[in-house]
Amino acid sequence: MIPLLILSPLILLAALGAVWKARPVHAALLLALVLAMIAVLYLTVGAEFVGLVQFMVYVGAVAILIVFALLITRPGDEAAELARRPRSLAPGLACVAPVLGLLLYAIGTGVPGEAAQDCPPAMPVTALGLELFENAVPAVLAVGVLLTAVLVGAALFARDPASKPQPPIS
Amino acid sequence: MTPLSLLLTLSALLFSLGLFAVLTRRNAILILVGIELMLNAANINFIAFWRYGPPDVDLTGPLFVLFSIAIAAAEAAVGLAIILMVFRHTRSTDLNRLDSLHG
Repeated sequence: MIPLLILSPLILLAALGAVWKARPVHAALLLALVLAMIAVLYLTVGAEFVGLVQFMVYVGAVAILIVFALLITRPGDEAAELARRPRSLAPGLACVAPVLGLLLYAIGTGVPGEAAQDCPPAMPVTALGLELFENAVPAVLAVGVLLTAVLVGAALFARDPASKPQPPIS
Repeated sequence: MTPLSLLLTLSALLFSLGLFAVLTRRNAILILVGIELMLNAANINFIAFWRYGPPDVDLTGPLFVLFSIAIAAAEAAVGLAIILMVFRHTRSTDLNRLDSLHG
């Protein structure tokens, strides 16, 4: 419980910074921090394998991909972002407040107050692998097809049609 | 407050922050940042119910998180490729400038 009490405010503060910072690079780096702290949260509650996957895929790939995309594209005008902020603040809060209120109401009324389990349920990697490749085979295959399609599609999207193919090295 | 309530509250606040970013930001890459925050909030819920839910649960929660992470990575790759393509055409990632389909 104590690691959760320490990590939760840190995650929220970093997420607030990622949402609020006007400079895009700062927001992307704070997102990487949030993702890393969520991975630590998974490690502390006993989901070690999921925590390591979160580190590798989210922190190692997605966050770095976002930072590289910011480096390739020209970041937006910070002054324009700051000038626009007061106008978008009230509508944004008006849309988010009912959603947050409903979620907190559901948590307050629907979650039983009984004591939690003392030790985490077992998650051996062997059992997870057996579950994946015995009971969830169609889903694993579907994700494999999806990732292949994404690889081809992203390469086609990102390709510059104006660039000429390089001659082969002789 | 039980650990389950704490994790669910964290997830709700994280989801709301992501939604706020999606609704108020105009830079397409920063909107993607908000979407990632919302996806992670959902993943925290899965792990919270697996860890602090009823005893003798199976591994459905962690399995869902693994699939969700794979699909989120795919979504980020395609999203950023589309943003790069848009940037090549408009020289900007500001969504307010993408109005060529506006009648």
